[in-house]
Amino acid sequence: MVRVLLRFPEKIAGKPITAEVIMAQKVSLNILTAHVNQQGGEMLVEIPSAEAEKVIEEFRKRGVIIEPHRPIKIDSEECIECGACYSLCPVDAITFKEDHSINFNQEKCLGNACKLCVDACPARAIKVVEHSGEHLRR
Amino acid sequence: MFKLKRTIEEINEKIKRGDVQVVTVEEMKEIVESSGLEVAYKEIDVVTTGTFGAMCSSGAVINIGHTDPPIKIHRAWINDVEVAHTGAAVDLYIGATQMSETKPFEYGGGHVIEDLIRGKEVELRAIAYGTDCYPRTRLETTLTKDDLNQFILLNFRNCYQRYVCATNSSDRILYTYMGKLLPRFGNATFSGAGELNPLVNDPDYETIGVGTRIFIGGAQGYVIGEGTQHDPVNGFGTLMVRGDCKKMTPEFIQGAAFTKYGTTLYVGIGIPIPLLNEGLAKKVSIRDEEIFTDIVDYGVPRRDRPKLGRVSYKELKSGKIVINDKTVKVSPLSSLKKARKIAETLKKQIAEGLFYLSAPVERLPLNVSVKPAKQTRDLIYVEALMHPAVTCSENDEIENVAKKIIEHSVNHVVVVDDKGKLKGIVTSWDITKAVAKGLKRLEEIVVKRVITTTPGELVEVASRKMMEHNISALPVIDRDKRVLGIITSEDIARIVGGKWRG
Repeated sequence: MVRVLLRFPEKIAGKPITAEVIMAQKVSLNILTAHVNQQGGEMLVEIPSAEAEKVIEEFRKRGVIIEPHRPIKIDSEECIECGACYSLCPVDAITFKEDHSINFNQEKCLGNACKLCVDACPARAIKVVEHSGEHLRR
Repeated sequence: MFKLKRTIEEINEKIKRGDVQVVTVEEMKEIVESSGLEVAYKEIDVVTTGTFGAMCSSGAVINIGHTDPPIKIHRAWINDVEVAHTGAAVDLYIGATQMSETKPFEYGGGHVIEDLIRGKEVELRAIAYGTDCYPRTRLETTLTKDDLNQFILLNFRNCYQRYVCATNSSDRILYTYMGKLLPRFGNATFSGAGELNPLVNDPDYETIGVGTRIFIGGAQGYVIGEGTQHDPVNGFGTLMVRGDCKKMTPEFIQGAAFTKYGTTLYVGIGIPIPLLNEGLAKKVSIRDEEIFTDIVDYGVPRRDRPKLGRVSYKELKSGKIVINDKTVKVSPLSSLKKARKIAETLKKQIAEGLFYLSAPVERLPLNVSVKPAKQTRDLIYVEALMHPAVTCSENDEIENVAKKIIEHSVNHVVVVDDKGKLKGIVTSWDITKAVAKGLKRLEEIVVKRVITTTPGELVEVASRKMMEHNISALPVIDRDKRVLGIITSEDIARIVGGKWRG
């Protein structure tokens, strides 16, 4: 699966773009988060790897801006294991172990599409990884 | 035969001999549960507690030594953080919440203290007015902790017995000293270590008093009195403490930044509780499920924020609590892992003869509570300025709404349902636009996402909302979204103009 962040500019926000792409490519697109209204917005989706390139192209043709998914990292050196981040995570990617240490599941994490926890870390140990996206280089 | 009481001297003798029986307070609770209070009391001499949390009323006094020619520092900065000049020439106080002038909200006094403890070099800048005895007027130098005569942590309020659980009813994200609070009860936060906390286990301050030796930031320190806002009557006791920063380790003391609130210092404190009598053994067996605190709505920006219920530390530590029938995730802001590590470390130090107990020379006050601030000039709240709103229903025609606007000479009509609950707002400008475009139905122009206020909100806060959203009125609603009235920018302009008489 390839995770990408789709950004819908205001001028195309009213169009049924996602439905069109799904029908044109017959792809089982998995929408993880969506915040789109008339002013535009963002959607985090998962695309089966085999179809990723074509699907991304279809979105691009329709004016959607594609951003590679950038995961989040917790620096264990900096982390004081307070858990301020825990209650902010909408997908339970941050949990506590039995001994109250922080357990971070990067697979589950929505990365730069969410980042609710990043500015809540008192130790500034949570960061969005700057370089990722081995696919989608263009 | 076992005596009914033990003394601190006897315990210290045992520490010296190496046969003291010391366990963490968590282990003690287990022993009491499995073997009973009597056995536990008989076998255990000392229990250790611990807490590691953001303690804003913290800071460090440093003495930098005299320069040549000497300076009587008037104002000074370390790494661009202003450090208060509190006494004679070269004593400075690094306050944990004082923020850097170049990196505010990210770096502050707490970080300066941590950097110095880590052995890092910091930059000092100071100015003075110059006197006959202290002629020098400027000083710029670098410092490490080894350059300082004294580097003493001096915290005037630490170690809260317990703290509240914070949540947010409002419709926006709040950034508070209780962390980031998501809108509409999206999450909650709490502070304090519950059953591991020092004062919770000695609620009558029998052993924790002035002169009690403590573990602080990895070093040894002392309780020097009750903390400011000490409120034992309501179960919110606090401590004033000191410790030698030069002997501290960054593992147990760390600068921190709370977004849009400011900087602070996480302080690790561990206090041994000698089991001098069986009553104390019983007190230290208190469990998380017996320690309660209030769920408080930080969405209401007032001193007496509404309480939404009570919750135990057991529920809080489970990660989920129920607020208004909704399950909400709850974050600890104190590190329970570090609190436990502190209790473990202190236990080890006592067992190895590295830490001796001290008897308090004076008890902490038990029957005091906190007074609110005296305010000579009262602030103005929305309730003082609001007035009845002109309303209409969702099914009204634009023409009728236009008539209401003229009739009442207002600019805003609030749309309500048959129960008086807020559905939207229409302005005279919306009506003008509708006429220009030939629209007929109110539905087509009504603004449904309405920014609102409540009677108890500060006028300043309401006014800030209007500015942020570039609007000129806010409907005033109650908890059930029923419209109570409206406040407009004209109302606010009137008080600035001085015509308001309250």
